Amino acid sequence: MRGLNTALGAAGLAAFLALGEVVPRVGIVKEAYFPPTSRIASAFWDELEDGAFWSALGDTLTGWALGLATAVGAGIVVGVLLSVVPYLREATASTIEFLRPIPSVALIPLAVLLYGTELRSVLLLVVYASFWQILIQVLYGVQDVDPVAEETARSYGLGTWARVRHVLWPSALPYVMTGVRLAAAVALILTITAELVIGAPGLGATIMVAQTSQAVPEMYALIVVTGLLGLLINVGARTVERRALAWHQSVRGEVAV
Amino acid sequence: MRRLLVGLAAGSMLVAASACGSSGNGASDNTSSSTGTTTVKVGVIPIVDVAPLYLGQKEGFFSKHGLKLTMTLAQGGAAIVPGVVSGQFQFGFSNMTSLMLAQSNDVPVKAIANGVASTGVSGKDFGALVVKKGSTLKSAKALEGKKVAVNTLKNINETAVRESVRKAGGDPDKVKFVELAFDQMPAALDKGQIDAAMAVEPALTTMLNQGAQQIAWPLVDAAPNLTVAMYFTSTAYATKNPDVVKKFQEATAESLAYADAHPAEVRQIVATYTKVPAGVLAKVILPKWPADPNRSSIEALEKLSETDGLFKKTPDLNTLLP
Repeated sequence: MRGLNTALGAAGLAAFLALGEVVPRVGIVKEAYFPPTSRIASAFWDELEDGAFWSALGDTLTGWALGLATAVGAGIVVGVLLSVVPYLREATASTIEFLRPIPSVALIPLAVLLYGTELRSVLLLVVYASFWQILIQVLYGVQDVDPVAEETARSYGLGTWARVRHVLWPSALPYVMTGVRLAAAVALILTITAELVIGAPGLGATIMVAQTSQAVPEMYALIVVTGLLGLLINVGARTVERRALAWHQSVRGEVAV
Repeated sequence: MRRLLVGLAAGSMLVAASACGSSGNGASDNTSSSTGTTTVKVGVIPIVDVAPLYLGQKEGFFSKHGLKLTMTLAQGGAAIVPGVVSGQFQFGFSNMTSLMLAQSNDVPVKAIANGVASTGVSGKDFGALVVKKGSTLKSAKALEGKKVAVNTLKNINETAVRESVRKAGGDPDKVKFVELAFDQMPAALDKGQIDAAMAVEPALTTMLNQGAQQIAWPLVDAAPNLTVAMYFTSTAYATKNPDVVKKFQEATAESLAYADAHPAEVRQIVATYTKVPAGVLAKVILPKWPADPNRSSIEALEKLSETDGLFKKTPDLNTLLP
């Protein structure tokens, strides 16, 4: 079953690449503006040999990892606090719903004003965007705690911290992991967007330079790199999720009785 | 599970702490180090225009004056002006109209050194109004009722194109201007989404390579030997660090003169900070880099911008210019 899935995935990708080769070749779009797959591939190999590419990749991954870690940490802490402290969630609900839909990209002028074009302005945007993903999942996860389990823990005399640790956290964890996976993708998108628009060093800035330089194949090669990064990050996030939830029925594949 | 939670929490605290910790020195003025060299950050756009800075750095004009430049690439003035005003960069590169607009809006900027100028020669400028191969549009007057792309509306290129239309005997108000980034112009012109584009290098050469035709040279029409862009700083930085500004002005003047005299070296250095394809770079028309801004051309540009209603308040060139 797994072999079949892999084969199907590979076939889909091959068809996609072939389409990318054929469409410009037959003239549906002009080669000058959308180079065929082979041309993008050769630009891709050229990039791999360029030291500047690897340092840009490093900058992007640094921004992504720091941003995601901060968002995950802050999202979990804030989410648990909001749920555990009485009335806090009700008091903050409207503020959260107000802040959450603000697009991170709209904060770019603020980021530049505060931090210029450095890593910190990228982090501001990344954390802002991915924090909500985590926070909302934590809030939902906490709501999902089985009241019987909660009451049982109470009657056994477990303190607040012990209940957070043994009851609330395991119930919320599947939600948190979904949040982490969503946030990982959002963080990557925002890292690259921030670099592209602000010019902070990284893959996004390299794409921007390729754009202003009219270097079309190089630009698409870099865009492919961002796609590959997203793919790897998703695979990585799923692995982490499976490991962390090895005990959970959704991963064990057993039916709850 | 507990370890995971604790680890995550501790990790995030560490990150937050380190982020806070380093924020203290970010906006500082980069005072002289023990070697007597001042490091300054310059916000630039990755285009040919700023080649003199890279060349001057390489040739040692800046180190001779005790300066070390750190270039920060930005997509346009939108990121550079706030960066300079907030002190993230000490210097920045911006076109004249944006600088005048900033000044008329009381944004504290001060132009300090010449940036780049038009060649002043029709038919051989680094910016041109181009139409598609085989287009029936032969002059700027013919653009009445047509769609013309400029990189930014209500800015230097629109002002210049309007003057070209005016000079050709047309009514600029009848031209439909649309905003489009330079890199998207070739495809848009080719597909007929726009009728003409105000292109600058390297988009201009890319389009000419594909058969596009030049019909006017707006930066030449706007004013003779137009100063298109300048390096600037914030008024606060200029008042606080007059010596650094002076060093930057002297080194930039030398670099501009050197770049103007060594076109082959300019093309080489451009390849180091952009990705302009070699075939395009060899054909690119280089701008002029006079050591000083051309005041009368800037006054002419100010008048044109005023005619087009760009300013709420007339900018004060005496305070803006060096």
